Amino acid sequence: MMILLLPTLAEPQHFSIAEKSILVVLTAASVYGFWRRFGPVLDRILKSKKDPDFHLAPIGKRAWEFIAEVMFQSKVIRERPLPGLAHAFVFWAFCAFALVTLNHCAVAFGAGFLDPAGSVGRGYFYFAALFAVACAAGILGLFIRRFLVRPRWLGEKLSWGSGFIAFLIFALMSTYLAAFFVADSGTAARALWWAHTLTLLIFLPVIPHTKHLHLVLSPFTIFLSRGGFSRIPPLKGDEDFGLVTGKDLTQIVSLQAYSCVECGRCTEHCPANNTGKILNPKEIVLGVRAYLNDLGPASDEPLLGKYNSQEAAFQCTTCGACEFQCPVGIEHLPILIGLRRGAVNTGTWDDNHGAKLFLALERGSNSLGLPASERDKFIEKNALPLFDGTQEYCLWLGCMGGYDPKGREIILAFVRVMNFLGTTYGVLRKERCTGDPVRRLGNDLLFQQLAESNLEALIQSKTKKIISICPHCVRTIQEDWKEFGTPPAIEHHSEFLARYADQLPQTQNQNQEKIVFHDPCYLGRYRNIYDEPRSIVARAGELIEAPRSRERSFCCGAGGGLAFLGEEKGDRVSHARAAELSATGAATVAAACPFCNTMFRDALASQGAGAPQLVDIAQLAARGLPEKIASKGNESAPL
Amino acid sequence: MKIIVAIKQVPERDAPAHIAPDAKGIEERELQFAMNEPDAYALEEALQLKERNGGEVIVISAGPERVGSTIREALAKGADRAIHVVSDGLGARDALGVARLLAAAIQPESPDLVLTGLQSEDLGLGQTGVIVAEVLGLPHASLILQVEKTGSGLKVKRELEEGWFQHIELPMPAVLTIQSGGNKLRYATLMGIKRAKTKELRQINAAELSVDAAPTVTLEQITLPKKQKSTQMLSGTAKEAAASLVEKLKFEARVL
Repeated sequence: MMILLLPTLAEPQHFSIAEKSILVVLTAASVYGFWRRFGPVLDRILKSKKDPDFHLAPIGKRAWEFIAEVMFQSKVIRERPLPGLAHAFVFWAFCAFALVTLNHCAVAFGAGFLDPAGSVGRGYFYFAALFAVACAAGILGLFIRRFLVRPRWLGEKLSWGSGFIAFLIFALMSTYLAAFFVADSGTAARALWWAHTLTLLIFLPVIPHTKHLHLVLSPFTIFLSRGGFSRIPPLKGDEDFGLVTGKDLTQIVSLQAYSCVECGRCTEHCPANNTGKILNPKEIVLGVRAYLNDLGPASDEPLLGKYNSQEAAFQCTTCGACEFQCPVGIEHLPILIGLRRGAVNTGTWDDNHGAKLFLALERGSNSLGLPASERDKFIEKNALPLFDGTQEYCLWLGCMGGYDPKGREIILAFVRVMNFLGTTYGVLRKERCTGDPVRRLGNDLLFQQLAESNLEALIQSKTKKIISICPHCVRTIQEDWKEFGTPPAIEHHSEFLARYADQLPQTQNQNQEKIVFHDPCYLGRYRNIYDEPRSIVARAGELIEAPRSRERSFCCGAGGGLAFLGEEKGDRVSHARAAELSATGAATVAAACPFCNTMFRDALASQGAGAPQLVDIAQLAARGLPEKIASKGNESAPL
Repeated sequence: MKIIVAIKQVPERDAPAHIAPDAKGIEERELQFAMNEPDAYALEEALQLKERNGGEVIVISAGPERVGSTIREALAKGADRAIHVVSDGLGARDALGVARLLAAAIQPESPDLVLTGLQSEDLGLGQTGVIVAEVLGLPHASLILQVEKTGSGLKVKRELEEGWFQHIELPMPAVLTIQSGGNKLRYATLMGIKRAKTKELRQINAAELSVDAAPTVTLEQITLPKKQKSTQMLSGTAKEAAASLVEKLKFEARVL
């Protein structure tokens, strides 16, 4: 037993009555200090409104997410590897120290259960010591990052609380490690024991006073997520209009607000914040927290005003980067969209462009405000077959595919591919906007009307499968319509194209064209589709990646209804992204969303000569198809 | 200030018009209906007047049961209560008949102001509002873009042709027909719809109004306009094409 030869942890013996009494009193004071602050926080969370649609099932999925995101710190590490690993070391050390700390306190009462002389105890202390070294190094690294490197995501104000906590953690680890180097019965061992204990007792009440409250709350926040990305909860009853006042804050929203660790990952990835808008997703969450602290969950004060600004809430493109990045399980989109719902459903939001969009959809069929006859003309001119229930796919044109010139080009390219493959499809005689922009802008009345009338039309047409070129349509039909019925199955054309890519003619060109693929937010983060469109791009040329790609992709600026809201403040999101795509040196930018396409069309045009050309993946797939394609089974019928 | 707004339900702007078998109207089966746009502006003007001066906004509409949805939309946008003159045979009546029905329903309310759109998007007669004023014996002004309440009456801005406007004053009670575009329309909200459920919607059967609304104009037949659009491509150099364009505009189209 080699381990028995190594020095072991020094543990003082025989604590006097006075020492024990002091320990008991200090522990009670420490717990009281913790609860005095934490009790009211817990109270505010529990007194918030119940989430109407919350289900604990499926518990297996929750358990798995808990293991991955909490225990293995997967998101913490993956999205910021160095600080993430440093954090993970601190976290893992805390887990390893649970037993050590319990034993440490028990020792004072002669009830220590880990024997420093025995092989099990000694082994465990060495095991914990390894974590202690890693933790001390980790916390030192985090301290240096926060106070010397100072990335701007952490905010301009230095968080002295964080510095103090770092000092406490470092002290905890060093007082533990030092005990390996002193004799068992000396004053040094006793001094170290007390130093360690006092540090612990100071640490506890500091937790709820600082952002380190996430230690206690975030495991629950992650376990109790809403399930599903950007899941917008249904409104319940006649008085629920979204997040209007404190009374509308639900337990999940309040729990999330108190869980924020202020790491600023959301801000770092926010397209609005990065282009000079006032929106800062972190501040939105902290605004809700400040509201709860000052007014509580029973207040009638509006949520938008002193604590959060309406302007900021309406600058969100709903790209979802914040929610995707958040390591403590905060779901920003239900909060941001909830605030918008509150403003729009009560008529408080007054915006010329927004009102124009809403009125266009109240009276008409599409978000572009064009007459529906324009869509009819497009269908007629290109002899698109009407869906009659016999074809395999209902081809959903969407507002862009039915009315926008570039969107129509994408549809026609995709139709060529389907004709070549002999896939049967048809378009609906009438189609209304899926309601995506109004859903994200928070107009529940209009969204419900659009969803219901579309669902009705799809049921009547006996549609089983829909295919669409627009990730926004796909998401809205598949997820958001569920609130009002059972939508048919739907897929994005990238999924279809990837499946049949082998059957398309190979278009090898000698000098491989460099093509950079831009991940649309609603295809990537929302639908988890990354490889399918890339497989199409890789067939047409040399696939190159933008610095921010896949789940870290940077928005084009169109989402969340913002494509319709007119000129933005600060820089244009689309220009920032287009510049990044051009800088890759690609000859071509490939998109897979008609909204990205329309944003980049303008942004690339402003780059002048030498800007890369812009295509949709359907247009890449259609390259090399014969000029004339017999449209097997896809003859058009009169409108 | 008690304001009555007369609104009409019309087919949605892009609705495909198919002529009914009797050739006296259009097929309604596939139609979707909406609020006549100039009436929506009349309602907006009324709501803004109420917001500035206080009072009550009452909407009135004549037509079959389906009109109820448009009335509820008006209540959702902020009208306080509504009157529905139920009549299935409005299509057979002329503007005079409809105006008589509306006037009979409006009269007992003795409003300070009656607003309506200057014309309907489906028939486009532009008569109903003006005849209502005549039947009620009230002063009226048409093509109004702005309304302002003065001490005892109204100051209105009226649209003339070629970008000219006329500012006139008139006493109350009065009837105004409103031109589209004078205000910014408000969008319908969920809260409005929910609140509208509890608002009064009184139905009056057209027969109860004991009005002689028999048509004085009879409708013989309606037909779709013939397509007359034709495209000509002008060939030659830009100079030649321009010359021939001017020629055609002068002598064929006679617009120059």
